[in-house]
Amino acid sequence: MHRITRFLTVTLLVAAVAGLGFAQAGPTGLEVMTNVFERPQPDDMDGALTMTLENARGDRRVRSVRQYVARFDGVEKKLLFFTAPADVRDTAFMNWTYDDRSTPDDQWIYLPALRRVRRISAEKKNDSFMGSDFTYEDLGERHPAIDTHRVTGTETMDGRTVYVVESVLEGGTSAYGRTVSWVADGIWIGLRREFYDRSGNLLKSLEIEEYREIDGFWTINQMTMTNAASGHSTTMELAGLRFNTGIEESTFTERTMTRGIR
Amino acid sequence: MKRLFTRISRVPILTLLVIIVATVVFAIAAVGGFRIETDLDEYMPNDHPAFVYARQAEQRFNIADGVLVALYHPDGIYRPETLAKIDALGRALGELEGVEADDTMSLATADNISADDWGLTVEPFIDGIPSSTEELLRLEDAVRSNPMIHGRIVSEDGTATLIIARPTEEGFTDSVYEDIRALVAEYEGPEEIHVAGRPIVEGALAVLGPADMARMGPIVLVMIAVVLLLVLRSIRNMILSMLIVAFSVIWTFGLMAMLGVPVYAVSTMIPVMLVAIGVAYSIHIFNSATVYLEEHPTATARHLADNAIATITRPVVMAAVTTVVGFLSLLTSVVLPVRYFGLFTAFGVFSAMILSLAIIPSSFVLFGVKAPRTSGMKDRLGQADAGLPRFAERIVNVLARRWKPVVAIAVVLVAVGAFAIPSVWIDTSFLSNFTPESDIARTDRFVNEHFAGTSTLNIVLESGRADTFKNPALLSTMARLQDEIETDADVGDSFALTDFIKRMHQVMHEEDPVYYAVPDSRELVAQYLLLYEMSADPDSLEQVVDYEYTSANITVQVKDDSSQTLSRIIAVSDAYRDELAEFGVSMQYAGSGYRALVFSELILDGQIKSLALSLVIVVVLLAIMFRSIVIGLIGATPILITAVVNFGIMGVLGIPLSISTALISSIAVGIGIDYAIHMIERYKEYMAERGDRHEAAVLTMHHSGRAIMYNALVVASGFAVLLFSVFPPNRQVGGLVALNMAVSLLGTVTVLFLLLYRGNRFGQHKQASTLTNNEEEETYA
Repeated sequence: MHRITRFLTVTLLVAAVAGLGFAQAGPTGLEVMTNVFERPQPDDMDGALTMTLENARGDRRVRSVRQYVARFDGVEKKLLFFTAPADVRDTAFMNWTYDDRSTPDDQWIYLPALRRVRRISAEKKNDSFMGSDFTYEDLGERHPAIDTHRVTGTETMDGRTVYVVESVLEGGTSAYGRTVSWVADGIWIGLRREFYDRSGNLLKSLEIEEYREIDGFWTINQMTMTNAASGHSTTMELAGLRFNTGIEESTFTERTMTRGIR
Repeated sequence: MKRLFTRISRVPILTLLVIIVATVVFAIAAVGGFRIETDLDEYMPNDHPAFVYARQAEQRFNIADGVLVALYHPDGIYRPETLAKIDALGRALGELEGVEADDTMSLATADNISADDWGLTVEPFIDGIPSSTEELLRLEDAVRSNPMIHGRIVSEDGTATLIIARPTEEGFTDSVYEDIRALVAEYEGPEEIHVAGRPIVEGALAVLGPADMARMGPIVLVMIAVVLLLVLRSIRNMILSMLIVAFSVIWTFGLMAMLGVPVYAVSTMIPVMLVAIGVAYSIHIFNSATVYLEEHPTATARHLADNAIATITRPVVMAAVTTVVGFLSLLTSVVLPVRYFGLFTAFGVFSAMILSLAIIPSSFVLFGVKAPRTSGMKDRLGQADAGLPRFAERIVNVLARRWKPVVAIAVVLVAVGAFAIPSVWIDTSFLSNFTPESDIARTDRFVNEHFAGTSTLNIVLESGRADTFKNPALLSTMARLQDEIETDADVGDSFALTDFIKRMHQVMHEEDPVYYAVPDSRELVAQYLLLYEMSADPDSLEQVVDYEYTSANITVQVKDDSSQTLSRIIAVSDAYRDELAEFGVSMQYAGSGYRALVFSELILDGQIKSLALSLVIVVVLLAIMFRSIVIGLIGATPILITAVVNFGIMGVLGIPLSISTALISSIAVGIGIDYAIHMIERYKEYMAERGDRHEAAVLTMHHSGRAIMYNALVVASGFAVLLFSVFPPNRQVGGLVALNMAVSLLGTVTVLFLLLYRGNRFGQHKQASTLTNNEEEETYA
């Protein structure tokens, strides 16, 4: 679950300043990916997340949550409250991810109809995130030094120069064999990514549909992941984002889960 | 018509040449355009509402018949080697062409919803093959405590486990069937491996049925040829008769190929019909020639050809036209392959008629005439001028004297038949096509003994509103429906959204079995479902509920695929309609078994309507041809008797109505008309010639009666060979064709004959028919 945090802070949010200015030859693949990876992150954030799951027939499930994320010493904590649909309102979900990778995540669920908090088992990185088309791996960070990157060209998207980076992922460490990322120059934000398996088949593609700068952070407001085989897709929309409001560690307790915030 | 065929026989070489060229053209077309329709779905009337609905539901819930691969180890499956094999075999199955790659279900892929010391888990049962005794015991415990797996994927005694593979949407072909069997064979030992499931049964059927026909077909033809030779007493005439049938079959399949119509399973009945009916035309023509030669031993070939044409063209053409119209009545069927069957059999019958009338007289002219070899039988039949044929006269005398018992027997037979018709049951079971000791049947029994069942029925519940299936009251009703259905001995299990919810409820209450139930809070149901959705893949509930919870699917696993069992379950389920309606929920059914059931009902319904329509058409046509409504009605009697006895015998013997056995009753029409017209026409002619009904009767019996008997003998003995087939459906076809021929024969020479004779039809003095019974009996005493 820690990956959602990193994703939001690392992938979704991009430091406005990153331009060290490259030589005319342009950056190498590793340099592009390192720029994406090494961006300042807010210490905490909160906001509304709406997830729209859509199957190939166009049927939809919409879920809205209010989420709180903060980093503390060696641990990232996250708390989610469902706000819609009505029959799951106040259902809460809490996740603690430890920097020490050998320690599995801690997860709790609170079902208001049961009036009980239950621990639930740790997710695996290739598992679906909350039943969506995103896996924990998709949402997580991945140090660029693990893999081999190569800029295969430049394009223009939204009036920005975009580097097309092909990454061959180190075997055994990922569900994918290869990804292709379209990274915007200067703001170092990924605008599109395609995920391939080891045989070269397209598995999924991610499109960033809306992004803007908020409080000095480049923020993705809407993105869609589509499964190439099933046609199933998940759209995530973020709204009302606030950064560095000073969320206390004492917020992330079972008690808060049952009682709600404020 | 007569003039046309007379003219044709004047240019025999040209005629034969034209026919041969046409046959070659049709043969080339048939070979070039030959396409067998293997997709059984193409057989279904897919625009029928029940089918449209079932198809939609099957798509929505990803309903497809699985291939069930069962691994059995007497010491239990919780052994590292066996578990590794489950995993490897499951993967290998997924890699086969024709099998969905990511949709193989087994203990190695199944998710376990469970509770442990610290909370709820949804995770695979097996994450890396367990090897230590402790791990194996833990797995066994996990399986035992999960009612969604225990008894479903792993047998209750723990000795067997299932791998379920799904065929791709392109359909399951013979080659996939062979591939799976070959693959499984590699993994066998020490575990026993059984392969079952409807795709396998269908696959086996697609392989075994034609193979059996290929084996038995030639024997049938040889038998027919031998008996033809016996009755025609001429190798040349036998060969000609066989060629005429063969040509008509080639023409028919050639035309089908030219029009781009594929060969359906039902199409295999076309040659059956053409053999039965086509042989009759030749026999009648040859018989006419024989009779003429008996009367005029010195006749020349041309003379004979002209005369054969003159006397036989009218009845043959009338019979053919009526038969054609009879088969065309099948065009009213809603089932496409049956429509094609009717259309092309009609064409084939018409071709056989044209070919018979063109080829046989031409052959007389071309090859000369051999006077029929005298035989003991012919001696008994006697000579025409010296007196009446003795054998025929004896039959006529017996019938005339003993008409009461004859009619009584006929009436009783028809009454018994009619009484037994309601007990004819439709069967669309694929399994009933196999003998109990066959591989397929044994493997099916094995899987049914250890698991919930090899067949499925889907109950589809639908409301127009989203989130309907989060209503606990509705879910409880569904659970009750499931419980009631599961009390049926043939139902192994049922599986629905309710099972997920019950399992979640139990897990959230420390595995307490008391909580294996539907909770009564709507919010709790919704929250469990949210939790489940969050814990699994996006499509994980797609087999039980649609995305927006507006419709749900209950999968009932059945140990028997017979239509009777399905109907019984449907009856139980239907009783819940009103209760479900209170929730605004409607109930429908889906799944291949259900569609087959609807399909068979449509076929039966269509066949009965078509038979009724044929009867009406026959009566009208005969009435027009003979300018008498009474004759029309009389002519229909053999058809009626044959059809009733056919279905009656099926009822008595418990032969289920399937597509092929239903269509066999068409023979009743084809052959019945033929026999009736020849008898009536000949009787009418002899009455006009002799003016005496006794003489006319004896001569008719000698002339037409003999031809009819020969025809019935030839076809019945040929098809009786199929009774020795190893393939039950082919046995049924053979037996029923033989039965229909025999009953048509008997119905014609007894009942129809007596109606003509005792009714004194075509008599000069109608008053004669008002003679009292006593006077009649005195006359022949």
